[in-house]
Amino acid sequence: MVKVNISIKEQICPFLAPRIRAIIEKLSPELLNKTEEIRLRHSRPLIIGWAEGGESFLGERGPTLTAKGAYRVLSEDLEKTLELISNYSLYAFEEELKQGFLTLPGGHRVGLAGRAVLEKGRVKVLRDISSLNFRVARQIKGAGEKVLGFLFDRDNSRVYHTLIVSPPQAGKTTLLRDLARLISEGDGILGQAGKKVGIVDERSEIAGCFRGIPQLDIGTRTDVLDACPKAEGIMLMLRSLSPQVIVTDELGRVEDVQAIAEAVSAGISLITSAHGSTLEEILRRPVLGELLEKNIFERLIFLSSKRGPGTLEMIVEGEKGLPLYSARYGGGGQKDAP
Amino acid sequence: MLLKYFGAALIIASTYFYGNSISSFYRNRVGQLEELLLGLEMFHTEINYGLTPLPLAFMNIGAKLREPVGAIFLGAAREMQKSRGLSARRCWQNAWEDSSGALAFSAREMKLLERLGLAWGKGDKNDQLRQTALIQELLRQALREAREELQKNDKMWKYLGLLGGTTLVIFLL
Repeated sequence: MVKVNISIKEQICPFLAPRIRAIIEKLSPELLNKTEEIRLRHSRPLIIGWAEGGESFLGERGPTLTAKGAYRVLSEDLEKTLELISNYSLYAFEEELKQGFLTLPGGHRVGLAGRAVLEKGRVKVLRDISSLNFRVARQIKGAGEKVLGFLFDRDNSRVYHTLIVSPPQAGKTTLLRDLARLISEGDGILGQAGKKVGIVDERSEIAGCFRGIPQLDIGTRTDVLDACPKAEGIMLMLRSLSPQVIVTDELGRVEDVQAIAEAVSAGISLITSAHGSTLEEILRRPVLGELLEKNIFERLIFLSSKRGPGTLEMIVEGEKGLPLYSARYGGGGQKDAP
Repeated sequence: MLLKYFGAALIIASTYFYGNSISSFYRNRVGQLEELLLGLEMFHTEINYGLTPLPLAFMNIGAKLREPVGAIFLGAAREMQKSRGLSARRCWQNAWEDSSGALAFSAREMKLLERLGLAWGKGDKNDQLRQTALIQELLRQALREAREELQKNDKMWKYLGLLGGTTLVIFLL
């Protein structure tokens, strides 16, 4: 696996208020390399989250053990940061403010929290922003290589309908992105030409689009519908882009089921993800439970963070429920990867 | 004798130009207020129809306006593009301070120019339009007053310059 290095100083720091920027820029390259999150909360200590888990308070002299020595984020810092991430144009990001996040060049995301303004019972916009969370987008190329062999039906030259299940921050999106890239590239990995992949990226997380342009490597034959609701996006893809594989994340709405049924009946392979830890847990969820009962998914992949994000726990054959791979048995299952 | 006539002409000409320069202040003030209002109208169009990012909107507006008002918009856009982490208010202030020598605004109008800095890039589209619309209204009122003052003072200062010079010459001769 290759972790694609990014420069926080060049890609994230220009969007931080000067005082916070100065604190982050003082961090050593080793610390910057393992930074996953930078959290700014009004009147509270500046916190940095690490890629391998855990977090530290940040003071003017670097990470501190207690909140006492940490830098307290001022409202001025939040205001300036908000101006910088929106390019002084909050009005141009209404849709993003409604969704609660903005994407920066490089695919990094800034999550927002504040006061929600409602219109007809739905969030119209977020105001009085009190928290900002910079989440560093790190692409791990090769994250999907270990599972790809289990997802490919060589006899029919197609990809199995696959559901990736994991708790939050356990590597679902990283795996989805890499699978899209590997399937799209094809040669050398699948032993044949790549396939046309369509990503419906409702939350701009898979491809990390900035102004519609993917910032992360998602493969040569991949098209992205950015910030598009899943059901609508899948139908759009079907009508206009003739994908062979559709990749999307976090299924959950009733209308998603119908769109998926359309895609599956059109012979398109589907790779998607869901929050959860066990099969029983996702079977109880209304939309996912329905899809699982219909035996739509031919492969289920379970991930965890036990040995760091992206730990492969189990791969299960959907219809029969047979484990194809299990970390509990030292990586073996009933049968090995083809 | 010839020298006397030459001196008299010189005095009259200099007092005339002095009066004219004061009256041109009133003319410039009206012109610059009109330009600023035009700039704000263009801004409303940029935001309403294109949701153009502020630095780009300022570049577009600045390129279409006459100096020195156009230079304020262009200067603010350049400040924003420098990525120094300055707020929109600070970028705007730096830009108008750079052009302040050429501005013919009254103290109250300068305050409005400063207040505009607080409005840029704040809130959603409606908020943004509301905030600039309020300042636009105050600028329209300032323009009405500036036009009245121009009407009152333009001819007066020109005549005052000419007559003042002539009176001085009569006394001296």
